[in-house]
Amino acid sequence: MPLDTASTYGQTLLRTDGRRWNELRRISASISTQPSTDGSSQFVMGNTVVVCNIVGPREGRGQRDTNNALIETEVTVAPFAQTDRRRRTKGDKRVQELQTTISSAFQAHLFTHLYPRSSITISLHVLSLDGALLASCLNAASLALVDAGVPMPSILAAVTSGVITSTDGITPSDPILDLNNSEELELPFLSVGTVSGLSEHQEDKVSVLIMESRIQIGQNGKKLEAMLAVGVDGCKQVRTIMGEVVRTHGTRILRGRK
Amino acid sequence: MGISILPPSDSDDDLGSGSPGSPSPSPHDSSSDTSMPDAASTSSSRRPGAGKRPKLSSSQRRRNRILVPGETITDEAQWMRGHGTFSAAAPSSSHASASAGATITATLPGPLHTTNKLLSITPLRSRYHPSIGDLVLGRIVSVDRARWRVDIAAPLLAQLPLSSINLPGGVLRRRTTADELQMRTYFQEGDLLVAEVQGVGNSDGVATLHTRSLRYGKLRNGVFVRVMGEGRGVGVVRGRRQVFTVATVAGSGSGSGSGEVDVALGVNGYCWVSRHVDPEADALEKEKAGKAKMAGAGSRVGMSISNLDELVSNEIYSSQNDEIDYRTRKEIARLCTCITLLADAALKIDEDTVIKAYSAAVEAEMEMMVDEDDEDAVAAAAAAGVDRKSELKKRIVQAVVGGG
Amino acid sequence: MPREAELSNIERTFILEALAQNIRLDGRARDDFRNLDVSFGDDYGACAVQLGKTKVNTRISAEVTKPFEERKFDGIFTITTELSPLASPAFETGRQTEQEVIVSRILEKAIRRSNAIDTESLCIIAGAKCWSIRADVHVLDYDGGLVDASCISIIAALQHFRRPDVSIDGENVTIYSLAEREPVPLSLMHHPICITFSFYHGGETVLLDATLHEEQARDGEMIVTMNRHGELCQIAKLGGVSVDALILLGCMNMTVTKVKDITELISTKLREDATHRDVGGLIAELSAQNDR
Repeated sequence: MPLDTASTYGQTLLRTDGRRWNELRRISASISTQPSTDGSSQFVMGNTVVVCNIVGPREGRGQRDTNNALIETEVTVAPFAQTDRRRRTKGDKRVQELQTTISSAFQAHLFTHLYPRSSITISLHVLSLDGALLASCLNAASLALVDAGVPMPSILAAVTSGVITSTDGITPSDPILDLNNSEELELPFLSVGTVSGLSEHQEDKVSVLIMESRIQIGQNGKKLEAMLAVGVDGCKQVRTIMGEVVRTHGTRILRGRK
Repeated sequence: MGISILPPSDSDDDLGSGSPGSPSPSPHDSSSDTSMPDAASTSSSRRPGAGKRPKLSSSQRRRNRILVPGETITDEAQWMRGHGTFSAAAPSSSHASASAGATITATLPGPLHTTNKLLSITPLRSRYHPSIGDLVLGRIVSVDRARWRVDIAAPLLAQLPLSSINLPGGVLRRRTTADELQMRTYFQEGDLLVAEVQGVGNSDGVATLHTRSLRYGKLRNGVFVRVMGEGRGVGVVRGRRQVFTVATVAGSGSGSGSGEVDVALGVNGYCWVSRHVDPEADALEKEKAGKAKMAGAGSRVGMSISNLDELVSNEIYSSQNDEIDYRTRKEIARLCTCITLLADAALKIDEDTVIKAYSAAVEAEMEMMVDEDDEDAVAAAAAAGVDRKSELKKRIVQAVVGGG
Repeated sequence: MPREAELSNIERTFILEALAQNIRLDGRARDDFRNLDVSFGDDYGACAVQLGKTKVNTRISAEVTKPFEERKFDGIFTITTELSPLASPAFETGRQTEQEVIVSRILEKAIRRSNAIDTESLCIIAGAKCWSIRADVHVLDYDGGLVDASCISIIAALQHFRRPDVSIDGENVTIYSLAEREPVPLSLMHHPICITFSFYHGGETVLLDATLHEEQARDGEMIVTMNRHGELCQIAKLGGVSVDALILLGCMNMTVTKVKDITELISTKLREDATHRDVGGLIAELSAQNDR
């Protein structure tokens, strides 16, 4: 029997790594990891490790929009991040798309109008990659920006969600949360990044939504709806964890001050 | 009613007693806050009766609780939002959220401060935001037309207009194009200087500096240290004296050099530790040297008070370091380490703590001194090198914390 | 570096305020496409799409090459997009701009990675010979909706394209010229169509097929690719303003109908072209009779 989630899930309702459909991998994160930068973080989600440094807000270089800060992103995926040693070049379109996405998400989210004519550089280093590349990068950048003291209306959190399509028609098609690398290769998945609604009465809003695999959206988009719902809910969980990380760090700092 | 800014731990008490305008100032409020462990329970039980600030009274009022961006502070209309907070009433959906009440959420991570009815958050860490009167250290980044651009670790580069510096010789006159052409003789790219923030731009927050005082100007004869700035409780704090002189142990010994070291703590976190310069003594020394030289050349130049002034002023834009003896250098290095150590220990850095840390360091070193002739002791010290360092650190921190 | 002239503040305010009153500059409804015209050239695989003022030309070409070492049984399909200064002074030859990278990346995901072309059918001799199909997209005029127009033109051109027939005799491959044998159409698995949604007013207003001015004033975009069977091929909401999840799902549902319309239009145009080409065939005779 091939050991993949699609076939094991039907029988055991467990995924290959033993998680249930709505379980996140273990997340651990820390902020202010690098005192020399304006803000920094390390974000670990399962076997994916991302380190982020923020430089800025600092004087921008000849930018056009003089009323807002400009967000720039650099993503480096280490050659040793995956099982096959591969060097991703700077011109890699996938990495460029990633950079554009992260910049654009934070450009719209942060209160950039408070820093006219300046620029904020997010540099991300993916040290180990086991799925959820974009989601981990967004989370790491979010934490580092919080650490840098850049004002934002809420913490942007991201996660991946996929769907297991039943092959026999008996088992239901279940959405699953936070895929690892082998699941990503096997199943269609979404990368979802959300921010909190403006008030408590509003739902979370989707900032980033990327899907690269082909799926049937199902009747009235039910399948997609399920994936999206699981993703948005997962983001909420991740946001809570990230909030706790910031709070713990802050409490420790305050205790040290006395 | 005067506005008072209180530390976060006192903020709750302030609310109970300091806002007589509020509808129901319950005297019970301020007294119960002193017993902290059961604050949460008392506040929740009080909630229906007090009715004054139900949301703030429960979880947020806990001592030094860190707020996280996006966290709701309150949804009562009576509060005013200050720095680090954000009201949900977005321009596009103002009609929709009007009924929901103006929810105030945090946008920065940090403890909540309440100043009467104003809610604000001071971030745990952020870039330096210049404000008028701050003493800052900066580095010249570029020389523009009639002004320098200075890096002061703020979001934007500060500017130092040509008209805001002292010209050598203390002359007061309009700056001409001739001065513009020789701006580099005063400050070049990469030069460090100490200055005061004269103004902050309204729209963008660009700081304008000035060095129109003998205390300000180019820096030399020392070491640059960078720590976190702007009095957030950590790093350099806005204090009474940002520039001070420390009488070091170097002076007590041989007598070569006064042994005094100048420390300049910029509010922006840039610091400068240098050999103490006594302007007058220095000038006299220089003059003597100059006179000797001139005498050697066979010319006769009279010495007058105006001449002295000129010599002093010419010195301020010099980039030449003076001779500093070994002992002073050692003490400069010790002070630098003390400053970084204070920053690492997340303690505030001001005249008081720096001097305390320094004397603790000297004392600890004296105690731990190893007799160089005793070979066993030297070997043991080398083996315990790391332990010794951490021990030293611990002592210094303890001295500062205990004293303060 | 040449750049697109930025929208003036007054234009931006005007567009946004008009949209708030449900009015678009060209009088369309929010979910209307501009006038879409698809035309084909004399050669197989040449297709011109005009979407409002945006003009995109696509040319498909085929040649026989050696397949990639790691994919011996697959042919090769590549899409190249060229945003030349012809279309807009903001485009530059040579250096790829961020926009160009995103456009080509999305087309790649929408068409190539969704397996629109059955690349296995392009294989002639495994590991030795295969067809390499290349789609060259040229933007001739740019007034927004670049991805939508490019995608339509590639899909139409691929359907229109005929490759020369081949016969295999052991190791010998014979390629017949168009005169010798009737060329064969490509085997397409499905026809993905990209639809771009633009978001305004913090994600509360959604527009379809924005013009350049509307694109410049928008807060965010989402490109959804779907085929007429309701299969999603990709979604790309690359940051921008955050939008309610329900609105996004609404967009997906809207895509289904729009994609059906566009696919229908393409097949109508293809039929017209086929009729037009078939002069002297059976259909030509029938029409001659009708004339009498």
